[in-house]
Amino acid sequence: MSDLKETLKEQIIEQLNLEDLTPADIQNEAPLFGEGLGLDSIDALEFIVLLEQNYNIKISDPSEGKEIFQSVDSLAAYIEKHQ
Amino acid sequence: MYYIHSIASISHQDSFNVSNVCSKLEKLGQESEVIAPNYKEYVPPASLRRLSPVLRMGLTASIECQNNTEKEFDAISVGTALGCLRDTEKFLVTFHTATSDFLSPTAFIQSTHNTIGGQISLGLKNHAYNMTHTQNNVSFEVALMDALMCIDEGKKQVLVGSADEQIPFLELMQPNLIPDNYPLTSGASFFVISPEASSASVCVQAVAVRFNPTDKTGEIEQFLANQQLTLNDIELALYADQLPVETNEKTETLNFLEYSGLHYSASAFAMHIAHDSLKHSDKRYALIINDMCSDKLGITLLSKQ
Repeated sequence: MSDLKETLKEQIIEQLNLEDLTPADIQNEAPLFGEGLGLDSIDALEFIVLLEQNYNIKISDPSEGKEIFQSVDSLAAYIEKHQ
Repeated sequence: MYYIHSIASISHQDSFNVSNVCSKLEKLGQESEVIAPNYKEYVPPASLRRLSPVLRMGLTASIECQNNTEKEFDAISVGTALGCLRDTEKFLVTFHTATSDFLSPTAFIQSTHNTIGGQISLGLKNHAYNMTHTQNNVSFEVALMDALMCIDEGKKQVLVGSADEQIPFLELMQPNLIPDNYPLTSGASFFVISPEASSASVCVQAVAVRFNPTDKTGEIEQFLANQQLTLNDIELALYADQLPVETNEKTETLNFLEYSGLHYSASAFAMHIAHDSLKHSDKRYALIINDMCSDKLGITLLSKQ
């Protein structure tokens, strides 16, 4: 699980062009949107692409995204459950 | 009159935020890079991370123009020949090769030519007239014509400029580009044009574009005649590769592609050179002849008042 979280952080940085961040700057439990990394709705779409391209997971109901993309912890848990 | 009040160029020369770009010019070698300012001083990191080089250059040059100008712009006119090439390529490659149902939205959103003008409006929080012109090597001249018409309609502060970027794919295409003996480069040059002189002394006196010109010399002479001038009045002539007119020995000539490199917004950088040359010398008239593509001729006349 911890390996998955580290991989996820690297993929998030690359997919979202967070060029000033390193994986160490992203806390597992910290919110990704709003006051956390300050991500926005376009980034939410990028997360959907990231999950499908890298983990073959399709999110068919966009309303699920709010819960899934809350943090690295929640993302990793969703991937573990659906792979 | 159309006075040039503020200029910002990001290019392969040391041209950003310098008082006289002519004093810094060096002929480009085959290997050169954009000399970029620290974009983070101009654009918030949250916005910057999504911007491709052409967007960073265009937005930063525009912000610098706004910083040097007290009033908000009444209109924004942008020229770009090839637009946001990097995002276009990224989107098309992904579209062609993707195995998933979804494509990355950022490259798609930013792949259109008018993204540069749009990002400038967003960055400056400017809701005024905003237009993008795409006319190959004369995109800047067409944008400039639009800017001058905006002033004729009563606008007082118009931002006009042009930006294009180089991507590796263009190197494959270079043999088809005319001319092909210059390094491929990127660049953005923006200007604030106003009918009010205040501290400005150099004006855009006239600009014209001719498509499929059969007699370039005749077109240029007629353009000057319309301004009650002849080639003998021109003290500085900037041209792209080959000067299509004969000038007298008093006229200083400069092949601007040797300094800008090859990109389709190079004539905007030539206008920056022409402006600074007039401002810092006793020359009165400068002519920019842009026939980088042989079937399109751009002619711009600057004068000092």
